[in-house]
Amino acid sequence: METADLSHHISRRFNEDLERVRNKVLTMGGMVEQQLANAVTALIEGDSNLGVSVGRDDFKVNGMEVSIDEECSRILATRAPAAGDLRLIVAIIKTITDLERIGDEGEKIGYIASRLATMERPADKYREIKHLGRIVSEMVHQALDAFARMDAEAALRVARQDRVVDEEYESIQRQCITFMMEDPRSIRRALDVMWIVRALERIGDHAKNICEYVIYMVYGKDVRHTKLEDVERDMRDRTSGGA
Amino acid sequence: MNSGATAFVYVVLRILAALGAGAVLGWLAGSFWFGISGALALYLAWNLWQLRALHFWLQHRSVADPPDAMGLWGDVVAQVVRLHRRKRFHKEKLTRLFRELRRSTAAMPDGVVMLDPQGEIVWFNRKAGELLDLSRRADLGLRIDNLVRNPDFVRYLRGGQYSMPVIVRLDTPTERFIAFQLIAYGEDQRLLMLRDVTREVRMEQMRKDFVANASHELRSPLTVVAGYLENFSADPGLGELGAPVAEMRRQTDRMTRIIEDLLELSRFEANDGPIKGAPIDVAAMAAMLRKDVLARPVHPRHVEVSVESAACLIGDEAMVQSAFSNLVDNAAKYTPSDGSVYVRWWSDDAGGHFSVRDTGPGISAEHLPRLTERFYRVDPGRSRETGGSGLGLAIVKHALHRHGGRLEIDSAEGRGSTFTCHFPSDRLLEARVAASA
Repeated sequence: METADLSHHISRRFNEDLERVRNKVLTMGGMVEQQLANAVTALIEGDSNLGVSVGRDDFKVNGMEVSIDEECSRILATRAPAAGDLRLIVAIIKTITDLERIGDEGEKIGYIASRLATMERPADKYREIKHLGRIVSEMVHQALDAFARMDAEAALRVARQDRVVDEEYESIQRQCITFMMEDPRSIRRALDVMWIVRALERIGDHAKNICEYVIYMVYGKDVRHTKLEDVERDMRDRTSGGA
Repeated sequence: MNSGATAFVYVVLRILAALGAGAVLGWLAGSFWFGISGALALYLAWNLWQLRALHFWLQHRSVADPPDAMGLWGDVVAQVVRLHRRKRFHKEKLTRLFRELRRSTAAMPDGVVMLDPQGEIVWFNRKAGELLDLSRRADLGLRIDNLVRNPDFVRYLRGGQYSMPVIVRLDTPTERFIAFQLIAYGEDQRLLMLRDVTREVRMEQMRKDFVANASHELRSPLTVVAGYLENFSADPGLGELGAPVAEMRRQTDRMTRIIEDLLELSRFEANDGPIKGAPIDVAAMAAMLRKDVLARPVHPRHVEVSVESAACLIGDEAMVQSAFSNLVDNAAKYTPSDGSVYVRWWSDDAGGHFSVRDTGPGISAEHLPRLTERFYRVDPGRSRETGGSGLGLAIVKHALHRHGGRLEIDSAEGRGSTFTCHFPSDRLLEARVAASA
């Protein structure tokens, strides 16, 4: 009787541990989303204070990463999780790395935005960057939603968005090159803009990575470096086979 | 006697009658006990038959009709039927009520989400689903802070301070502002109300922008006018135009002051978040303010500064300076030259306090609640002649608000007034901490 009670107790505590660390990942995700939104707003509205504050607040995201990492190590060491639980922990460890990188890219955008705020603003008021920023923010948001809902299909949909980001990136790059050729005085600003667009494109990649971890977590299949079409077919086979 | 007892008496009578008949028949047939036991066996068989019928009916109540029984059995059947009917009636009533409730909350213009003690979503209405992009199929049982991850909202949810709603900007899929209000009910359960306030927030922003832009645009032409007037007034050949030009100069000065104050106010308003700031030496600031008052051409005879705390205030120095100097200026302006002004800075468990007391005419109670409104005048004639902009106390209120503080006004006509700024204790830096750090 006592043993049964104890094991029940352990598994309940274990569940609580897993649940807590999962919640922490999503809290961290919320912070990262906010940082990204603020960084893009700082650029669009030319708010140099906001840009600097994004750079200054990045340490909070870093702190969260370290603390979640420690908690995951502790769970691995003391609970020796298996199967789905193990996949959850592995996916979390990878996800927070990508989230932290998104935070770093956001920090970079924030600093460049605060520098650009002191310069003359282009006529289009960074409309293309605003558009790209919106797509990327949405990707991060939906990737985290998919993580919260354990929804592999949604994750796959988001991962597919990455192609749109790449196309936008190409188009802004071409535009910047045109500006630089027309007016060499704009090179400095155009280079800064390129840095920002590059950072946004990287954030899109990180969001895609998070989606891949969600698919791994749900289906137990590593889909990195796999064509998305193959992944989709594979998932369809599994769901129809399982039904 | 009620029907149950009557039926029972009948049952007893019927048994006695059956026993009597059995006894007579048995006695006639030659065996008295055989007759009695035969009657009892028949009676028992009949009872078992009735019980079986009742049992069958109870088991297949939905399809079978209630058994036709007489006596006590019939009574039992009737009671069961009645109980059953009443239960069904209540159930239907409850279901109807529940459906109505669900339909009415679903039709509400505001979003509603029911949360359990862990913050998991129990139920939400259609509007909440639209506003937060929730899906009924997948999101029941998920924690709300896993889906609405905005740090401001998460802090509000976990903070436990639900008296005021929190307004949060959500960026995806479209930028919108949503006011969240949590209501605790039952045992640790919570109701989350949400409302789309995007329009209100945008209007407020437009108003602020308009005031800031208008003041800014008015400043340049005014500077030109003021410059010419200054030149004219220095000209000795003005003759009878001298007095009007002097008056025009006074009025342009006043207009400049109003615009400066408007700009300052909109600068304070531009950002609503609390400010971090740096330690401010309140004692030095108070001493400076005293000097400023004594430098006025007409000033109260007595200006006393008492600093009772060595604690520093943490905040934006320009903003705090503006707030304090507005209060001290007001006191100096409204106090006659034989009156006194007392400035005091002290701290206690509740936080830091900066008060300015004067022996001026005081303010009657009906004006107190509206005193910090923009351009509110207690006595329009009088304040114009003292040359105030009508924005001073609005600036004070905003500056304090940004520091998490509040303004307390205590005044009565003929008794003078006391304006006290209260700052929370986390805005204080104690001297010994500052010294050891």
